[in-house]
Amino acid sequence: MSELAVQNSNSPWSGGKSPFNVSYGKLMMWIFLLSDAFTFSSLLTAYGCQRFLAASDFAPMKWPDPSKVFNHFPFLHGMELPLLFVSLMTFILIFSSVTMVLAVEAGHRNDKKDVSYYMFLTIIGGIAFLSCQAWEWTKFIQGSHEGRIIDGVKVFGANLNINEYGPAAFADLFFIVTGFHGFHVLSGVVLNIVIYVNVQSGTYERRGHYEMVEKVGLYWHFVDLVWVFVFTFFYLI
Amino acid sequence: MEHTENHHNNEHGALTKKTIWATFWLLLAITVIDFAIYFMMPASGIRNFIFIGLGVVKSYFIVGIFMHMKYEVVRLSSMIILPMAFILALIAALLYEGDRWSIIKWIE
Repeated sequence: MSELAVQNSNSPWSGGKSPFNVSYGKLMMWIFLLSDAFTFSSLLTAYGCQRFLAASDFAPMKWPDPSKVFNHFPFLHGMELPLLFVSLMTFILIFSSVTMVLAVEAGHRNDKKDVSYYMFLTIIGGIAFLSCQAWEWTKFIQGSHEGRIIDGVKVFGANLNINEYGPAAFADLFFIVTGFHGFHVLSGVVLNIVIYVNVQSGTYERRGHYEMVEKVGLYWHFVDLVWVFVFTFFYLI
Repeated sequence: MEHTENHHNNEHGALTKKTIWATFWLLLAITVIDFAIYFMMPASGIRNFIFIGLGVVKSYFIVGIFMHMKYEVVRLSSMIILPMAFILALIAALLYEGDRWSIIKWIE
């Protein structure tokens, strides 16, 4: 009987410590990210279905070529530069992911100055990304000078009902998926600012560890991860 | 107790500035390869698979190194990665079948 009890207490599932070897908060962040990944998966499934529908020979309107739609770059008017601007956005997001993980690494060393420096850079990166996205959306909504005639009406740019680029679902899915991702970035920036203020005021120094930086870092990397797939499906393919 | 200490050593050992920057350059290189393939290869199904494959490689490094998943216990990493793998299989199946929707929808 007692032997059995000893054996049980060695099992990771016998209670008293986390079987996953991480704190409760970090584990719940992982669970949240998993559910959030499901949400994005369903959005990308909807995107794929609509795109396959428009690719059919019988479809009334073809899915537009992304290189013909997203080919603008700030201050370079009249030049066709497909993919360049989104590649810049990808670079900004990957770089802000790096500064985030550098903040986590500084947190392991309990180096308050380094943590706040890298958190600040991460916030700047997030704001830069959001600004790029705002510019991209503006260009997309305004559309070209020429417009396109659909059913006898000249259409400029895009809204949720009609757009000059292709089927209505093209603009709808662009707004929903990049908008939902942008909203995640915005939430991430707000969370990062909260953490930055806490780091500055010494909350985590008093606590003795910087685990909150790690938790928000997980969220921030997830946002970067989602962008990898948004970039692949909306701009590359 | 021993186990927890081991874990902590691992955690601090793995996440060095050198690893972080190496991962960054790798991710940047893959993005540049994406960019190059986009302009050098005509659009095709194979090109799409290359892009998706490179996306999976990128996500391996983001999740594995940046999110530290590589160094977590297998119980945790499998709890996250297995459901995600099933979801990816589901997406592939849905899109494969969904391709036939077009025949039903537009012909009616």
